[in-house]
Amino acid sequence: MIRDFFKTLIKNKKSLSGLVLLGFFILVALFAPLLAPYPPKTDRVEHTTLLEENKGDPEVLSEETEGQNREKSVYTVTITQKYEKTTEYFPTRAKPSKDHILGTNHAGNDLFSQIIMGTRVSLFVGLATGLFVTFISLSLALLSGYLGGILDDVISFVTNVFLVIPGLPLMIVIGTYVPMHGVLPIILILSLTSWPYPTRLLRSQVLTLKNRDFVRASKMIGERTSFLIFREILPNMISIVMSEFFTVSLSAILGEATLEFIGVGNITVVSWGTILYWAQANGAILMGAWWWFLPPGLLIALTGTAFVLINFGIDEISNPRLRKR
Amino acid sequence: MKYLARKFGMLIFTLFVSMSINFFLPRLMPGDPAKALMDRMEGVEAEKLESVRAAFGLDTKDSLPVQYGKYLLNTVKGDLGISLSRFPMPVSSVLASALPWTIGLMGLCTIIGFSIGTLLGIWAAWKRQTKLASFTVGFFTFIRSFPYFWLGLFLIYIFSFKLKVFPLGGAFSVDQTRGSAGWWLSVVQHGILPAFTITLSSIGAWLLMMRNNMINVLAEEFITLAIAKGLPMQRIRLMYAARNAILPSVTGFAMSFGFIVGGGLITEMVFAYPGMGYMLYQAVNAKDYPLMQAIFLIIAASVLVANFLADIAIMLLDPRVRDGAK
Amino acid sequence: MHADAILELRNLKAGYATNAGFVRAVDDVSLTLHRGEFLGIAGESGCGKSTLAYSIMRLLRDNARIESGSIIFDGTDITSLDEKAMNEYRWTRMAMVFQSAMNALNPVLSVEEQLVDAVLAHKQVTRADAKKTAMEMLELVDINAERIASYPHQLSGGMRQRVMIAMALLLKPDLLIMDEPTTALDVVVQRSILQKIEELRHIFGFSVIFITHDLSLLVEISDSLAIMYAGKICEYGPSREVYASPDHPYTKGLMNAFPTLTGPISRMGGIEGQAPSLLSPPPGCRFAPRCNVAIDACTKEVPLLQVTSPGRLCACRLCGGNHE
Repeated sequence: MIRDFFKTLIKNKKSLSGLVLLGFFILVALFAPLLAPYPPKTDRVEHTTLLEENKGDPEVLSEETEGQNREKSVYTVTITQKYEKTTEYFPTRAKPSKDHILGTNHAGNDLFSQIIMGTRVSLFVGLATGLFVTFISLSLALLSGYLGGILDDVISFVTNVFLVIPGLPLMIVIGTYVPMHGVLPIILILSLTSWPYPTRLLRSQVLTLKNRDFVRASKMIGERTSFLIFREILPNMISIVMSEFFTVSLSAILGEATLEFIGVGNITVVSWGTILYWAQANGAILMGAWWWFLPPGLLIALTGTAFVLINFGIDEISNPRLRKR
Repeated sequence: MKYLARKFGMLIFTLFVSMSINFFLPRLMPGDPAKALMDRMEGVEAEKLESVRAAFGLDTKDSLPVQYGKYLLNTVKGDLGISLSRFPMPVSSVLASALPWTIGLMGLCTIIGFSIGTLLGIWAAWKRQTKLASFTVGFFTFIRSFPYFWLGLFLIYIFSFKLKVFPLGGAFSVDQTRGSAGWWLSVVQHGILPAFTITLSSIGAWLLMMRNNMINVLAEEFITLAIAKGLPMQRIRLMYAARNAILPSVTGFAMSFGFIVGGGLITEMVFAYPGMGYMLYQAVNAKDYPLMQAIFLIIAASVLVANFLADIAIMLLDPRVRDGAK
Repeated sequence: MHADAILELRNLKAGYATNAGFVRAVDDVSLTLHRGEFLGIAGESGCGKSTLAYSIMRLLRDNARIESGSIIFDGTDITSLDEKAMNEYRWTRMAMVFQSAMNALNPVLSVEEQLVDAVLAHKQVTRADAKKTAMEMLELVDINAERIASYPHQLSGGMRQRVMIAMALLLKPDLLIMDEPTTALDVVVQRSILQKIEELRHIFGFSVIFITHDLSLLVEISDSLAIMYAGKICEYGPSREVYASPDHPYTKGLMNAFPTLTGPISRMGGIEGQAPSLLSPPPGCRFAPRCNVAIDACTKEVPLLQVTSPGRLCACRLCGGNHE
């Protein structure tokens, strides 16, 4: 079923270009350590060269004969090696050059390497949040839409309440309180504020499907609930679920960057958002250091565009009215 | 009227939930932020410590429910505690200085963004076969993928740093006497770039929403009937298509407005525009918890009230809602 | 063109583009409608009858279009008119009643708005005069003129359909196209609406094209009858004659699909099988795969619509005439 869905996605020009773009970013993230010219948090390159090596004469410590054809000796040799180590500190706040194609930041870290490694964090946070929220909201939607009753009333009510409470300020407030270790807290905070909308959307889709003839018929002939949910309802929700996944992932990437930019978040992690935080904190604009703050933003936007394009394709597939002539 | 009563009930309840989040959040947090802050503030005047204690409910022997009750009462009365970073100013008077700037900026941008976005959406749906319409939709979709703050940075770089046509930040020129003509001019000068940022990035949301609604409505049978009636195109477009397509847009206001306000806050931070957003930024960095929470509350309250107004608008626009038929 | 013909279709082809190809929902249809005549067009859903109706009003939109052929309305081929010229015909000369008034009425405008704007679009009258016309017309379809202030959702299904009829007759058109106007209504309301149409036809003298999948509705009121199958007309003739002695096997099948009041309740199941895909219709007679009297030759040659007796046409090897 999912394979069919992806087949149709590939046929659509928009979603295909979105998938290609996303695939590119995923590859960059996977092979980031290989692609980055330097480790992202280093400010120097060290070269060590061996200049001389002197081998002293062996000094015999012991000798002994073991049987007729065997002799064993123990001795030491002193080897002296002379090295030359050059430590080349990267310039700080450097313009793009041959060695640093996007320049360096205030701490002398190579920005190009940071961007490449940052792809990992940004993409991971985005997709992980997308996955988590989709799972939560789909579960809630099925519970509330399919089972109905009081549970539905409660879930819908809570959803509607949290839907209208503005997410970003809430994220900032929570983020200020929560100690940031790693990226897990930020994923949780992003998830906490982004579940209501997909839940509401998916719930109404569950309700529609639940009242379709084929589902009713199966229910009438006594199919088990699990069959109805997993075989009849879910397969018909693939496109809307996927579209929600991409929407949430997009807003998570934007949300992460925003939180990190204003300093709520783990600023020791290297991500697109933190690069921008340090750029702003060090007055990159007033230095005219476009190479510092332009690329992360452009990459965020490109990733976002990939998600949006995929979603355009999904929309066109599932809503024929949006198709062009 | 039942509809209105229900929506009003919802408004009051969501306000109550926001206030409760505000109260319980610091008390639920791991790592005891209150204690961490107190440790950091060792040697600070006793009064200041007092207000931190008050903010976290550490100063009283009252039980949690009593604290909660007192908090709700105080909040409703407008007593939001004492600011830590601007000690001993009460939070409410700190907010009073920031609020007008935000309301002016965001109010204007929301109206402009909604109008332009919606009109463009109508146009883009009507002319959806044309290249120009596809391009416009694509352009704003792309813009929407940029983080608000980055768009702001970019505009500052181009217009303030490179071209030097607009100031780098702030809301007014300090050289001018407040209230003078020159001062007002400087307010406009300082406002253009942040306003442009917010408007530019919010247009996309309205445009896409309106376009999709329009396309759906245009396939409705009542549009075919309107064409069959030989009505002038302008009337079909506005009274038949747009009039119906705007309903989900107004309903979708809840979602989008929260986003735009969020984006507006960030834009203020980038432009050092002295409104609620910039104040939130300062509060976050100074760990001024009472101020930060009060700002969250005010923002939440304004978004909720705006949503309530949108509900009223929907009631006026849709006779079915008026009759409780939908 | 016949002297008293109001509408003549000549080799009309129309349909819509899909991803899989062009679906020709109306395939080479020719018909003549006389002034004051009541023509019924019957067929299963998906046979192209609605596309035919929409073609005449030039309402095909988006991916749908008229491919070729002509639609001659009162001496003018309207297929070649631009939208502005076409608007001179719409509603003033020909009007249409849609299947579902619920969907066809604008939910956010009052009945008054929707009636008055039709008048104002075509006549140089004041708003007050237009409203007066509208109220008179509402009374004619047995709706209290005060209901003009109502919104569509405040009316019952039958009332909404009456509003649609009043709207269609506002400008006293020569031709009224009705696309399954009573399908969504219950039998009692259906009957009263049909009677109302008959009554109004005697007052105003307009011609009617009445499209339905329910042949039984047409028996009593239509003058002539066209049976459509898979985009083509397969039988045409005066209602009573067609009804009394259907020629085409499909027509016979359709008649069996509803019980007669007098006849024995024999078969009510209608016709076995499904209508063919219009994307790639079967070769030869399109009905052959479902026809219980078909012979081998039927699947090879396309039967042409031939005169079988004066005023009657049939497209079937079995009703005589030549073949392609």
